[in-house]
Amino acid sequence: MAAAMGREREGIDLDDPWQAIEACYERGWTDGLPVVPPTEALVERMLASGPWDPDQVLLHEPARDRAVTAYKAAVNSVMAGCRPEYFPVVGAALTAIGDPAFELHGPATSTGGAALMVIVNGPVRRRLGIHGKANLFGPGFRANATIGRALRLVLLNCLECHPGVLDKSTQGWPGKYSLCFAEDEEGSPWEPLSVARGFRPEQSTVTVFAAESGHNVLAHGTRSPERLLTLFAETMAGLGSLSPGRSVIVFAPEHTEHLARERWSRARTQAWLYDRAWRSLADLKRAGKVEPAFLTNPRLLEWLYRDHPAGVPSPPPDPGAAERITAEDRTVRVHRGLGPDDILLCVGGGEAGGHSAFFPSWSRGRSVPFVTKEVPS
Amino acid sequence: MTRILDPTVRAGKVVGTAPLAPRPSRLAGATIGLLANGKSNGMLLLERIAEILGERHAIAEVVRVAKTNASVPVTEEEAEPLLRRCAVVVTAIGD
Repeated sequence: MAAAMGREREGIDLDDPWQAIEACYERGWTDGLPVVPPTEALVERMLASGPWDPDQVLLHEPARDRAVTAYKAAVNSVMAGCRPEYFPVVGAALTAIGDPAFELHGPATSTGGAALMVIVNGPVRRRLGIHGKANLFGPGFRANATIGRALRLVLLNCLECHPGVLDKSTQGWPGKYSLCFAEDEEGSPWEPLSVARGFRPEQSTVTVFAAESGHNVLAHGTRSPERLLTLFAETMAGLGSLSPGRSVIVFAPEHTEHLARERWSRARTQAWLYDRAWRSLADLKRAGKVEPAFLTNPRLLEWLYRDHPAGVPSPPPDPGAAERITAEDRTVRVHRGLGPDDILLCVGGGEAGGHSAFFPSWSRGRSVPFVTKEVPS
Repeated sequence: MTRILDPTVRAGKVVGTAPLAPRPSRLAGATIGLLANGKSNGMLLLERIAEILGERHAIAEVVRVAKTNASVPVTEEEAEPLLRRCAVVVTAIGD
């Protein structure tokens, strides 16, 4: 550790903390909010709280060949305002977004403006105070605010995802500052998300997702699972974000109560939502959601004609068909996603209120998968 | 006095230390590669560049490669015809 610290100890010497905060602004090392000056003592405490050697690479982004070591992750975690004990969660989340399957270069740079959602499960939630109840996406919780922020600072400082330069988000959204929350496992009628994804209940995990901005699903007027889920399916089938990509739904406890009362399992709920979150091919064409280039892309054709009894037309439709609506197009159902497993269900929010959230995946294509990693203890 | 530590990183061994290929002094008769990132308009932009290079420099052939996934680096398989055939490769992203 001493060797790595010695070798990498590049920094700047300043007279006082306020000057240090301003120096970070001047060098473009912030997300717009003031950062905690990353002094050597604070960075050492952060590193000591994780299981990694300073030189250990937690994330390598191959498109631009950038390696983020535990040391650099610790510097950025200090700057984000993390307490040292949060560092294993930050490190696990970096490992998750650095999984080759996550193809980080896309969500980190695309015009789509994805946020890096981090859903935390297991005992670490309580130990660190990672919040999953009232206002879980909003302000007020240090662990939520700073763990997600540490990821963004790593993107800005280590991967050079500067707005308008490498991060070409057309608009972005506030979740890009930080989007980290705990699943309310205690309020869930189902096994924890982490268990559904193959981990044991006593393991703590992070599940990451490249998320577009969330949509409130407001339902106070029904106790029927079918009526309630109709609202979710309708929201998911909104043409603005309809794609072959994934979905995250964070059910408020009030909504899960209605599902629990009728013993709706997670799998049944996923399947029900997938079956009903669709629009006709005619609807897509009417709204310009079928681009001519889609008709020469085998993966997108497969999505568009997945439910059609005859499958993908052969030969494929000519590019002009993108705007030509046939009678048959009115009968072709185009679902959000490619199957029930593309819909991740978890639970979070305050005890009062019929407000859940739907987060569509980044991208008009398939986007990137959910990735779950264990938080080291 | 407080020392604050640098949070940034530089490119690693692939991008950072790979030597640049020798620059050709002229393009006349050269085979030009076009490497598009695979999004909607990358090749459109490159085709125009190839057209201009053709008008000004009498280039020979043009080899076109579009990545199938804009989010990941070019694969060895995709890069092979560029390496084998081209004197110069122009790359572009389009969206």
